Amino acid sequence: MKYMIMMFGGLGAATQDRSPEWIAGMHELLMKLDTELKESGECVASDALADPGQAKTVRFTGGAPVPTDGPFAEVKESLAGYWIIEADEDRALQIASQVVGYTGYPMEVRRIMDHSAQP
Amino acid sequence: MTGQDRIEDLLRELAPQVLATLVRRYGQFDAGEDAVQEAMLAATLQWPGEGVPDRPRAWLLTVASRALVDTWRADSARRRRETAAALDPTGHATAAGFPVHLAAGLAGAEPDDTVALLFLCCHPALSPPSQLALTLRAVGGLTTAQIAAAFLVPEAAIAKRIVRAKQRIRDAGARFELPAHPQRTERLAVVLHVLYLIFNEGYTTSSGAALQRTDLIAEAIRLTRLLHRLLPGEAEAAGLLALMLLTDARRAARTDAHGRIVPLADQRRDRWDAAAIAEGQAILTRTLGTGPVGPYQLQAAIAALHDESPTAEATDWPQILALYDVLTTVAPGPVVTLSRAVALANVHGPLAGLALLGTLDADERMAHTHRLEAVRAHLLEQAGDTTAARDSYLRAATMTASLPEQRYLELRAARLQHPGPPGSPAD
Repeated sequence: MKYMIMMFGGLGAATQDRSPEWIAGMHELLMKLDTELKESGECVASDALADPGQAKTVRFTGGAPVPTDGPFAEVKESLAGYWIIEADEDRALQIASQVVGYTGYPMEVRRIMDHSAQP
Repeated sequence: MTGQDRIEDLLRELAPQVLATLVRRYGQFDAGEDAVQEAMLAATLQWPGEGVPDRPRAWLLTVASRALVDTWRADSARRRRETAAALDPTGHATAAGFPVHLAAGLAGAEPDDTVALLFLCCHPALSPPSQLALTLRAVGGLTTAQIAAAFLVPEAAIAKRIVRAKQRIRDAGARFELPAHPQRTERLAVVLHVLYLIFNEGYTTSSGAALQRTDLIAEAIRLTRLLHRLLPGEAEAAGLLALMLLTDARRAARTDAHGRIVPLADQRRDRWDAAAIAEGQAILTRTLGTGPVGPYQLQAAIAALHDESPTAEATDWPQILALYDVLTTVAPGPVVTLSRAVALANVHGPLAGLALLGTLDADERMAHTHRLEAVRAHLLEQAGDTTAARDSYLRAATMTASLPEQRYLELRAARLQHPGPPGSPAD
C-alpha cells in the first residue's frame, strides 16, 4: 500500500526566525531521510513545492476561470513538500514522526487509493 | 574507461551519422529515428559479448534499415508500395518526396548531415522542451530513459514529447537540409540556444534537490564541440563552447561537501579545472576578432576573466564591467543589467550597483525570478544595511524554485539575524 506524507511549513517565512544551525540541521535531516527512503526503495516519489507566496489560485469568477495571486492563507500551514512511499501505516507514521520531532511543524499521512480491484 | 563505456561513446558518436544516412535514403525522419534507437539497443545487447564489428557504422545502418523495413511491412498496403519504391536499388525514387539528389548520397553521412540533423531537431515549430528532448535523443544518442532521468520526469512523458515533436516536424514540412542564408544565421541561433539550455539545465537545475546534473553538462559540451568542429567558421558556436568550458571548470568548487552552494568569491580556486580553463581560453583567443562579436563570446570573455584571477580580490572588475557595457549594447536585457550591476558595485561601490538594480524594479520580466532580490540582498549586505539585506534574502528565498538556492538564501538571511555564537536561542 502507498502513503502520501505531506509536510506543512518549513519554507521561507516559516524559517525566518530560526538560527542558521537550526535551518542547516533541518536541511540535513530532510536530505538524509530522502536519501534513505530512495536507497531502501520505499520512496515512490518525493518533491518539494515552491513557496506559497508564488502560488496562484484559479477561481470561477464572473462566469469564467480567472487566475489570481494567492492563496494568502496562513503561510506556515501551506503544503511544502511530500513523499509517496510504499509501506504500511506504521512505517509511514514513523517517518513523519522523525521529521516532526525536529521541526515541530505538523505532517499529514494519507493512504493513497488503490487502483487494483482487490487491495 | 571500461569497454562498456567505450561502446556507449562509439554508439553515441555514430547514432546521428546513421540517422542522417537513413533520412537521406528513405526520407522519413520519424520512422528513421525509431529505427536507429532499435539498432542502438541491439548493439548495446550484442557488442559487449560478441565484440565490436569491424565496420560498426555499416552494422548499425544495416540493422536500422532492416528495422525500418520491418515497420513498413507491418504497415498498410499503401505503405508497402512506398517501401518498394524506397528500396529501389537505383536510388532514383524516394519515399517522402525528398529531392532525388539528396537521396542519392548513399556513401555515408557527410559532416553537414549531422548539422542538418541538429537544425531539424531545433526546428522553430517545436517548443524548447521538445527541442531539448529530440536533440538529446536524435543527435546525442541518449535513450528516452536517460533523458527522463536527466530531466527528472517520467520516461513516458519524454517518450510522448519525442513522438509529438516528430509529428510537428512532419506537419511543419521541415526539410532535412541546411537552411540557406540569411535564414541559416537565425536558425543557428536557435540551435545554440538549445545547446545553451541543455547546459544550463544541467548546471543550475530549475528544480529538484541536486544542484548539478553532470550528464546534461557533459552532453551539452559534447554536442557543442561537435557543432564547433563541423562549423569552425561560426564564431558564436566557438564562443558558446568556450563559455561552457570556462563555466563548467568551476563545477567542483561550486558546492561544498554537504551539497551547499558556494558563491564565486568564496570558492577554492585550486579546485577549478585548469585543463578546461586552458581549453576555453585557447578557443576564445582563436575566435575573438574572426567574426562579429556576439553574446556567447562576450560571456565567455567575462568567464575567462574570473577564471584567470588567482583570488577573488584580484578580479579585474573594471575589465569585466567594460565587457558588460559591450554586452548591454549587443544583447540588452534585464539579466545582463543584473550582472552589470554586480560588476558596477565591485568597481564603484554597492550603492552604484543598487541604483542600477532600481531600474529593474518595474521590469515585468524580472517579476517572477528571485535573482533580482538575491543580488540586491548581496549588495545591501555589502553596503552594511543588514536589516534590508535580510528582508531581501528572505524575499528571494520565497521566490526561487531551486532547493539548493533556497537553502543558501535562507542561511544567508539567518546569518544576518544571528551574528552571535552558534547555539544562540532560536526564537
